[in-house]
Amino acid sequence: MIVFVRVDDRLIHGQVVLGWGRVLKPDRYVIIDDEVAETDWESELFMDAAPEGANVSILTVDEALKRFEEGIFDSERVFVLVKTPGTLLELVEKGFKVDKINIGGLHYSEGRERLTENIYLSKVDREALRELAKKGIKLEARALPESEKVVLNSMVI
Amino acid sequence: MDYYSNKKNRVKGIIVAHGNLAEELISTTELIVGKVSDFYAVSGSNMSSEDVVKRIKEILSDGETEKAVIFVDYFGGSTYTNSIRAVRDMDNIYVISGVNLPIILDFVTKREAFDFGEMLHHLIERGKESIRILK
Repeated sequence: MIVFVRVDDRLIHGQVVLGWGRVLKPDRYVIIDDEVAETDWESELFMDAAPEGANVSILTVDEALKRFEEGIFDSERVFVLVKTPGTLLELVEKGFKVDKINIGGLHYSEGRERLTENIYLSKVDREALRELAKKGIKLEARALPESEKVVLNSMVI
Repeated sequence: MDYYSNKKNRVKGIIVAHGNLAEELISTTELIVGKVSDFYAVSGSNMSSEDVVKRIKEILSDGETEKAVIFVDYFGGSTYTNSIRAVRDMDNIYVISGVNLPIILDFVTKREAFDFGEMLHHLIERGKESIRILK
């Protein structure tokens, strides 16, 4: 069972593990990112970063779709993490079912425009969020469980 | 006056931590031992991962740095993953996590006196032994 889907350019880090993990109590973190999944040392880095006792899977988009389709994670509470809205759009376009997405950290770097206090978007990110919003998926910005929820749908359409 | 006059064999220090912790650790250190050189603060939580990695690389690629220790606040956090990303291909750059004030004080006062390889174990021991139940 997928309990949470989050876009966060840092993937597994303090806010995710301590902030959200404490509340959601996931059995497994599933990172979906082609680049990370295909880079051994990056994968190891995130395996190490995960809290003790938590299961971690680091998968390409296609691998993830296959695993979810097969129902391999059905008995677990799964926390899905992607780095970019683009990855999520690709997942959704290939059949991944989700009705609500948490937009966490998308940090500032050159060429990114500010959308909210914690969210900076490239043109590609913005376009992907627009497409996700058009599909009726609720886009909710919230850094931590106690942070204020900001629904982004009307801001990106 | 510069706290260290011996430019040779200098070991650079970088603290990579969340929020303002890195800056504050350095300013607190300077409050205790005086002005410290070759010591840098990187805030790991306000920039994108790419920018954090870039900033660490910039500090180390001044053409003079041969040895450095990166102090990370939290094992498992982005300060840790981004520090490793920045220096994984570099020799003579160490990364340690769980930074605390005693570790930093020890580093800035003894960094030239120690053999570089041994220093790391010494620092970690120093950090651990400073954590005690006092009451």
